[in-house]
Amino acid sequence: MFEIRRTLVGVVTASAGAGALDGLVVPGRAFGCRTADDELMLLSVPQVTDEVVREVSTRLATLDPDALVIDTTDGWATIMVAGGGARSSFGLLSRLELPDAGFTQGEVVHVPAKVIADDEQVLILAPSMWEAHLLDRVTKALGATGRLETREWRVPTP
Amino acid sequence: MADGLRFEGRRVTVEPGDTVASALYRADVRTFTRSLKYHRRRGLWCVTGDCPNCMVNVDGDPGVRACMTDARDGQVVVRESGWPSAERDLLHVTDRLHRFLPVGFYSKTFIRPRFVWGLAERAIRRATGVGHLPIGRPASARPARALHVDLLVVGGGVAGLAAAAEAAAAGSRVVLVEERRLGATAWDARVRERIQTLAAEARAAGAEILEHHTAVGLYEGPFVPVVGPAEVLHVEAGRVVAATGAVEAHAVFPGNDLPGVFLARGAALLSIRHGVAPGRRAVVVATTDEGRASAAALRSAGMEVLIHDGPVIAAEGNGRILAVTLGTPSGRERITCDTLVLSLGWAPRDALLRMGTDQEVAGAGDVAIPGCSLEEAEASGRRAANGHDEAPSDVPTVPVGDEGYVCLCEDVSLHDLQQAWDEGWRSSEILKRYTTATMGPCQGAVCGRLLAAFAGARADAVATAGARTTSRPPARPLVLEDLAAGVDEMIEQRTSLHDRHLGLGARMERSGSWSRPTTFDAIDEEIRAVRHRAGLMDVGTLGKFLVAGRDAAELLDRVFPIRVRDLEPGRSRYLVALDEAGYVIDDGLLAALDSGRFYLCTTSGRAPAMEAWLRDWIDRWRLHVHLLDQTAQLGAILVAGPKARAILGRLTGDDVSAEALPHMRHADITVADVPCRAVRVGFVGEVGYELHHDRSRGPALYDALLEAGQVEGAQPFGLGALDVLRLEKAHLYLGQDTLPDDHPAKLGLEWAVAMDKPDFVGKRALERMGALPLERTLVGLRIDGEPRRGVPLLVGGRVVGRVTSCARSEAARGTIALGWVRAVDGSFPTELIAGHAVATVVPTPFYDPEGARLRV
Repeated sequence: MFEIRRTLVGVVTASAGAGALDGLVVPGRAFGCRTADDELMLLSVPQVTDEVVREVSTRLATLDPDALVIDTTDGWATIMVAGGGARSSFGLLSRLELPDAGFTQGEVVHVPAKVIADDEQVLILAPSMWEAHLLDRVTKALGATGRLETREWRVPTP
Repeated sequence: MADGLRFEGRRVTVEPGDTVASALYRADVRTFTRSLKYHRRRGLWCVTGDCPNCMVNVDGDPGVRACMTDARDGQVVVRESGWPSAERDLLHVTDRLHRFLPVGFYSKTFIRPRFVWGLAERAIRRATGVGHLPIGRPASARPARALHVDLLVVGGGVAGLAAAAEAAAAGSRVVLVEERRLGATAWDARVRERIQTLAAEARAAGAEILEHHTAVGLYEGPFVPVVGPAEVLHVEAGRVVAATGAVEAHAVFPGNDLPGVFLARGAALLSIRHGVAPGRRAVVVATTDEGRASAAALRSAGMEVLIHDGPVIAAEGNGRILAVTLGTPSGRERITCDTLVLSLGWAPRDALLRMGTDQEVAGAGDVAIPGCSLEEAEASGRRAANGHDEAPSDVPTVPVGDEGYVCLCEDVSLHDLQQAWDEGWRSSEILKRYTTATMGPCQGAVCGRLLAAFAGARADAVATAGARTTSRPPARPLVLEDLAAGVDEMIEQRTSLHDRHLGLGARMERSGSWSRPTTFDAIDEEIRAVRHRAGLMDVGTLGKFLVAGRDAAELLDRVFPIRVRDLEPGRSRYLVALDEAGYVIDDGLLAALDSGRFYLCTTSGRAPAMEAWLRDWIDRWRLHVHLLDQTAQLGAILVAGPKARAILGRLTGDDVSAEALPHMRHADITVADVPCRAVRVGFVGEVGYELHHDRSRGPALYDALLEAGQVEGAQPFGLGALDVLRLEKAHLYLGQDTLPDDHPAKLGLEWAVAMDKPDFVGKRALERMGALPLERTLVGLRIDGEPRRGVPLLVGGRVVGRVTSCARSEAARGTIALGWVRAVDGSFPTELIAGHAVATVVPTPFYDPEGARLRV
């Protein structure tokens, strides 16, 4: 059995020269996903997003004075598929090959997405204009397996 | 008690292990379908899913291969072709009218008078075909699942299982797909036993074996769609081993399609696996070991069997084979029989293999070494697992006689091929297109080699005439639901205000991929609200980009035809985007922020393309620019109308007066405790503030604006009102009012292009085009009739243009329109006919031409 969980994730986007991002030490409370040569996405719990912005801005300032570090949490809809069948069921959502543990990006339910996976859970982030689509398609596709544990949940208001 | 399957009103007993075909055959059904064109009887032939002869309707699904479908109690089976029935088919008369129905007859008859084709086509369609689509039945959505493996093995015979076992033992992730149950098409006990052993070995090594899963194509990757009973698998494999086997070769002779003519493997399967003798007296004509061995199988089923190894001259019968004439050393011999069993060589099932040319695809077993022994098949599979690519053996084609059917699916005879050849269709590829041979359900599996052999053997053939035709997916028949599996046509983008719009009773429409309100109540009333009081519109769909970095100004200055370097922080400028050919590809607004940053707004539909386009220029010019797409992150609400400022004044302590925040300026303000970037714009022709804000704060901001706006009589408005409001100002909708080759001068947008700048994308093209007279231009029109968008504009009965936008306008007191017109004799017409009305070219804008209302 597995479950779909609405998860609030703080997202910070850092745009800077490739060299600067190569040299950046990611703050310990954030998980860094290199989305492009000149772009890094940092995920954290929402409560520390401001700190991540500050720390990354400070660290990058010396490496690339033009660097752009912005809290983009509002731009992302996030859901977590968790449980024993989470990884194997991901094939119903996307043709992406999941890493054993880590980050990949590409289409999930036909929209561009970022995906972070480990042994038992898959975190999916898609641009927030597709939030309803993401929730609907993921729920339907995984619900059809008969292995999805459904629970009442409410979208938390930040 | 089991009650069997239902077949055209009869009950048919189902024995364990039965297919629909074997159950029906046991119940004395001999005609399974009628042929496509001549309505000849077609009975079981290959019994391995390779031919079209047993396609029936099962439980409402048309075109089901009876020999590949497990029979079960309660199933409803119906034959699909023939009128009034497949058994007594009056359309069989066409079999006596060959002379009037030559190959390609529908391409050269019923041409004049023209209406005849409409009637003929309807009649032809009713008379032909191999089934009826269940049009009224709702389609079910088939799920698609992606699967990543190191090795995909197609085919669960000895070679395939050996490959799977070998690769899995070496640590590879292996999936094997088999169209039926493992061993279902093997009649030899020794083969079945070996299959069981190898399957156990493969499973023990970790290979996943999926029965009833059919690989239908092979694409670059290799990527293989596999149709299973519950889902379609999209398999991305490091390598593919095609162990798809071979079918006995098709022989062409008169009467070769009569019911009672079997391939040897099919006849043996019926006898041994299903306990059904194909007939009483069989002539076995075999040149293969398996064919010769099948004779024993038939005898064990109680049949009288005669074995022959010479050519077949002809089969004869009337609806069923009654006798066969064989070539003998002494001449020919006629033998009465009710079954003719053929095993005259092999036709490898190489469709997938041929689709995978230049891919990591290897053949194993019969597909590579046709007719190989059990031991050879296993060794071949193990070699393929280790990366050895077996070169397919050359397969001698069974000699083609003078008469008989080549393509069983499409009813194409040797005579038809010769006639097509004589008409000038002189290669296998164009013979295929003209005669439709190889284009039926078997996709050339039965006849592909014969067609190539026919073309290659003509005396006047060029060297390439006899090449095999291209192998394309699908390799096996599949239903439309399988093709559509995983496709999602309705991907909808929503703003954060979507639920608010629904709550307000908005009628939503798709605008591109966005879901947007058309109207909340009455479009006319929404227009009046904006013109006289205020309106609120969700414009969160706009493309929104932050452009930063030390080269940001340089990028924008070089890309866009507006002046960027003199744009001071706090100011905004309308922009058009041109491609290198000088054509308008988008428009929007550029706002200068502090610290050398810019905020770029584009049209809703073009945002992704604009981002890609800008990134391309950044890379090409190697500029130090950071481009951040904020379209998803930010919402935007337009407050427009004479009372817009008053509404904002109720919700903000910031100065939003005309002096502090004039037209085309912007400022960061706080509205109802929501931080906003307020941008003064005028798309609807009134004082307007676009409030750009964090998406999550959108609903709260919208609620506050609606509440504050109530006092001023404000109301929300949608795309319906916007269409009229912007038309009154003659503002364009790109795509609707423009054509792909419109440059700014054609659209009256020269003012938005700074030609005195040293350079910008498209400048050189504009200079060249500027030296030429305009051949077409967009104009404003007043029409003395009903608004009708899209109607042609005529002068002297000649079409010279088209209405692109049109509406009845209260503010402009009449019907107004935009439309493009061509120059006539060197000048643009000023009086035109638009449908039944007169259209007069007038200056634009239609409303507030001085723009005074924007500057209040």
